[in-house]
Amino acid sequence: MSAASIPEAIQPARIRAGSILRWPVVAGMTLIALSALFPLYFMTAGAFRTKLDWERSLVGWPTTTSMQAFHDAWVSGHISLYFRNSAVVTSGTIALTLITATLGGYAFSKLNWRGKSACYFFVLAWMAVPPLVLMVPIYVEMVQLHLMNTYWSVILLYTAINLPFNCYLMAAFFRSVPDELIEAARMDGASIHATFLRVMVPIAKPAIATLCIFNILYVWNEFLFALLLLSSDNVKTLTVGVLQMQGRFFYNYPALMAGLLIASLPVVGVYLVFQKYLIRAVAAGALK
Amino acid sequence: MSLDIGFNRGPHNRERLWGPLYALPAIALVVVFIGYPFGSIIYHSFTHWNGLEPARWIGVKNYRDLLHDSLFRLALRNNLLFAISVPVQVVVPLLMAYLIHERIPGWRLFRATYFLPAVYSTVVIGLLAQVIFASHGAVNIAFGKTGLTGLEHDWLGSGPTAIGVILLLLIWANFGYNVVLYLAGMSTMDPQLPEAARVDGAGRLAVLRHVYIPGLRRVIELVLVTNTITAFAYMLTYIFVVTNGGPGFDTYDTEFLIYNEAFSYQALGYASAIGVVLTLIILLFGVFQIRMLTGGKTGSA
Repeated sequence: MSAASIPEAIQPARIRAGSILRWPVVAGMTLIALSALFPLYFMTAGAFRTKLDWERSLVGWPTTTSMQAFHDAWVSGHISLYFRNSAVVTSGTIALTLITATLGGYAFSKLNWRGKSACYFFVLAWMAVPPLVLMVPIYVEMVQLHLMNTYWSVILLYTAINLPFNCYLMAAFFRSVPDELIEAARMDGASIHATFLRVMVPIAKPAIATLCIFNILYVWNEFLFALLLLSSDNVKTLTVGVLQMQGRFFYNYPALMAGLLIASLPVVGVYLVFQKYLIRAVAAGALK
Repeated sequence: MSLDIGFNRGPHNRERLWGPLYALPAIALVVVFIGYPFGSIIYHSFTHWNGLEPARWIGVKNYRDLLHDSLFRLALRNNLLFAISVPVQVVVPLLMAYLIHERIPGWRLFRATYFLPAVYSTVVIGLLAQVIFASHGAVNIAFGKTGLTGLEHDWLGSGPTAIGVILLLLIWANFGYNVVLYLAGMSTMDPQLPEAARVDGAGRLAVLRHVYIPGLRRVIELVLVTNTITAFAYMLTYIFVVTNGGPGFDTYDTEFLIYNEAFSYQALGYASAIGVVLTLIILLFGVFQIRMLTGGKTGSA
């Protein structure tokens, strides 16, 4: 309460007007927060139920703590296999994306070469094409390349689908790095490759973190291309696997809930780890 | 010594050589898995093609058929209904982000939980929705227990409510993305601007209107464009998992139609034509929205 005279006169009214709405707004936003947590509760509660408990009380606390559903899902539902496949596909895609997007982003921002802007525009333009529109020719192409039912089919495709955005992200970040830093490295005798690996990549950590978060979420959760390209159990990923559990375990909802929970926990975990940095990473990366 | 001279003489020559080589893996992947398929749907949209025999050129017949296809019109109408989510996604997350930014009680909880729905797989959300909105599902049980039996309904069993459920899932699953984008945008703004406005006596809504909204113009643009594109071209998983197009054809959307024409009827040429039209619609929306927001000036990035 300083001596500032005019604002002082207005402030009390503002605070009062704000406080009438304050608690209903907080209550509403709390309800939405609870709805965001609800699936985790529902899947966990459901997975610990027996089939009988599921039929009796769908919504309330489980009255049983059976682990049978996890066993059913993991072993008979092949979730262990699908989990491994999802892990391979996700780590493969992230590795390939990191290599191609940082190399590309660096070339498109800090290196001088003939045709650079035309190539950059060519890569970015594909952001405007929704990939599912291309499902028919992609399916045909994968058959022709003998990549059907291989991890490579989805690893290459997922990397390509997100490369326009990922290249944009990396190029925008690299562009914000002052040229003097590169000049200094060059003066010290560093080659293009050494400058890239020892100066640019370490500096790009925020952009690389953004890239990892969004690509892990995309790849782990992607469904339709996985459905089209991975039909054999040996390569099938979790999203396709849990959907088919619904058919196989039609009367075993607790097992389905256990499967959904297992499919969700890794990405929820990744989110919790990166959660603190998410807004900063988006500010440093996507909004550059 | 000679190595040294080589380096001094030609950093630019080296960049001319290594620039394209650094960019090559990205360009190659995009050409092979996006560019080539895109060329393929344009070409095949003018053909009759069942995937087994070679495609046969039939000119614009697919496009003419499309004009008279009532299912295509229904699918487009459903995409337009899904686009009801767009104004909601632009406005509500902006208000939420502003309140979180203003440290409303509970803001830490809101900031931590609001992104969670965007973390769950669409398949997980869809399967849970099936269980929850089924005729003997959680929603109806809850209505039954609280005596609101009049509100019990077979939510996925009739067209309008099934569309409503999908719309609800769409909004719920994506609003957290927009909150994060707005919060990130707010965090990059100069904190002195809202402070100065406040000292001048501006209320909360005035600060939002005159400081944050103009400052967040590019983020608002981004939210508008991405959510419109989502409503038209990223709905297939929801429909596939929640309703499978039903009841009847009531929840068909454009992508579901492409999927069905291609993989149920082997009408690959026709499916390609639908794909081309959908791409054009999305390009049109993207250009139109950016034009509208920038008042004719494009390329703010």
